[in-house]
Amino acid sequence: MTDPKKMKKNKEKSEKIGVYICYCGGNISDHVDVEKVREAAEKFPGVAVARTNSFMCSDPGQELIIEDLKNGVVDRVVVASCAPSLHENTFRSAITRAGANPYIYDHANIREQVSWVLHGDKATYKAEKLVAAATGKAGLLEPLDPIRVNARKHATVIGGGIAGLKAARVLADRGLEVVLIEKTPFLGGNAAGLDTVAPLGEQCSALIAELAKGVLEHTAITVLTRSEVVGFNGYVGNYNLQVKTTLSSSSAFDKAAGHVVPFEGDNADTPTEQNVKTGAVVLATGFRSYQPKTGEYGFDDHREVLTLPEFIKQLSEVNCSGDILELNGRKIRAMAVIHCVGSRQIPGIHEEDENGYLNEYCSRTCCSSILHAANTVKEQFPKTNIYDLYRDIRTYGRGQEELYDRAARNRVVFLRFEAGNSPTVSANDDGSDYALKVTIEDGLTFSEEIEVPVDLVVLATGMEAGDVSDLVSMMKLPVGTDKFLQEVHPKLAPVEMSVSGIFLAGTAQAPMNISEACNGAAAAAVKTASLLSKGYLELDPYVAAVDQDLCRGTGACVDACLADGALEMIDAETENGTEKKARVVPALCLGCGACVAVCPTGAIDLKGWSLKQYEAMVDMIVADELIDI
Amino acid sequence: MTKITPDFAEELKKYGDDTALICFNCGTCVAICPLVSESFPRRLIRYIQIGARDRILENADDLWKCLHCGLCTQTCPRAADPGEVILSLKRFTVANWRKSYNV
Repeated sequence: MTDPKKMKKNKEKSEKIGVYICYCGGNISDHVDVEKVREAAEKFPGVAVARTNSFMCSDPGQELIIEDLKNGVVDRVVVASCAPSLHENTFRSAITRAGANPYIYDHANIREQVSWVLHGDKATYKAEKLVAAATGKAGLLEPLDPIRVNARKHATVIGGGIAGLKAARVLADRGLEVVLIEKTPFLGGNAAGLDTVAPLGEQCSALIAELAKGVLEHTAITVLTRSEVVGFNGYVGNYNLQVKTTLSSSSAFDKAAGHVVPFEGDNADTPTEQNVKTGAVVLATGFRSYQPKTGEYGFDDHREVLTLPEFIKQLSEVNCSGDILELNGRKIRAMAVIHCVGSRQIPGIHEEDENGYLNEYCSRTCCSSILHAANTVKEQFPKTNIYDLYRDIRTYGRGQEELYDRAARNRVVFLRFEAGNSPTVSANDDGSDYALKVTIEDGLTFSEEIEVPVDLVVLATGMEAGDVSDLVSMMKLPVGTDKFLQEVHPKLAPVEMSVSGIFLAGTAQAPMNISEACNGAAAAAVKTASLLSKGYLELDPYVAAVDQDLCRGTGACVDACLADGALEMIDAETENGTEKKARVVPALCLGCGACVAVCPTGAIDLKGWSLKQYEAMVDMIVADELIDI
Repeated sequence: MTKITPDFAEELKKYGDDTALICFNCGTCVAICPLVSESFPRRLIRYIQIGARDRILENADDLWKCLHCGLCTQTCPRAADPGEVILSLKRFTVANWRKSYNV
């Protein structure tokens, strides 16, 4: 914590502010007259020096700041460059290297907020204003210390599918204690229902067995099956999970090929509930397979219409010779597969579900999966004709375009339809003994209407977000419009969630194949391990702080607080005896400022974003004449 | 309505090249063909793929406009050999000429 004496001492405004303005190699300077901004900045109150550089984030640029700090020319730093999300840490660490406190720095974003959206005089004017505001604030900045909290070297993985198993093992290998929580009695998740997997055709059950073995034999991993998280509190490094283990019998879950059953026979007599103290959580809650509506491509109306998972399961159980596939004693002389079922739905074209939702995303795995299934059939049963009805073929990734090529060489016939003109599946009435006919306006045959008689239709059903609404409300997790859990940034923070210490692994996040799920799981596990491995965490110090002399103990701040437990009332000993006072739990504080707004005595303020600092920023923005003083 | 003869590709085998199913319908052969317009030869190759036997006989006239310059075969990105497929179709058409009620 910052020494209060030091805070008092620094209450005076700094007169040694350094302003460092970046050209960004033309990205900024093509639109902002950077030298003019520098000249203006030199005249701002408290500014000791203003400098420019073509790339302030480069080593020479950083060196300008470091030299000025070391030589005592400046004691506060303002950098005007790109968004702070890019280089805030760069400049903070430069300041640290100069031996100064990294929180004596403020940032003016004159690229995204200026040069990318404004041109000419307006751009220069706004850049000056933003730099002016930053110098106003910088003059009042005080050195701060990051909040240090102990972190348990323990992680919890929720979900025992491919991603959960992978994450658990990587975490344990990096020295953490791990609890793996799986709600069914099995390990393997959705992948356990698969037979061989694209593009190489390995047995999926072997993959799961290998992953599960790595988890079950590792002494640092505790596997809790038939278990669910029913309670959640705490903060990063120190979460508490209430985990309930039920008696749901194995028969309640469909046991498919590849399922690993840990601790068979270990059925507790009574449901148990336990508290798991953990440092971070990896969510590997998986997906659920899209279930077509009744009548969608004849689903439910005709027993010869199957979903892709149903077909994969039946195909894995096939035990017939000859060159025509037989399913349940029926010869499949011809079959149609239809892509994009339950995926890439378009408003106004596709029917919304009962809650008004459409799956507008591509499920990414179904093209490769259905072509792999088609190749499996054709290579074993070449006389079974396969008609592949697609909107687009999206066999992305290494070795997967080859699946399409192989299918063409295996004489799979491709027909293409438009989203607004889907094929229809109906009972065959042409007098032949084919059970079904599929009618399509085929874009590859000059939009002629084609009628394909078939014995079987397989729908390439996609992925939907699993139902994790209980976890979402418990952990306050962000969810995308596609209902999958949402990461902080799709590129720069792809497995992090906005709740600190919670990570994403696998298809809880988006449709992905097994390789991608393992990538995500390993990334989440390594992120988790690096977060916890020191045994303590340093959090940004931008949290509320209470001035105990001013606090009258009204409790208004506690009522206004958005983060459970971040503010509490305590009995404090003062010269007037015992008094109620507010106290901040820094690790839980979000730094939102809701408490600052309601305090009747102004006793509570945010460190690094104080009301005085805001006032100084506003003063600098509105005070045009200041610039000429 | 275009009717499908499921095993047509098999039937065509005895008349020559059976590479039609490798074609992915890009249309390069149509663009390069110096003589015949109206989607030749892709249209006929497509009819082989889906087994539209009747459509081939209906459109067989186009086959005899082809001079076998070989440009389509040279430029085909899938090496599906359209020139040879056209020859196969000529043989098929001759063999089935009188059986056809369309021509």
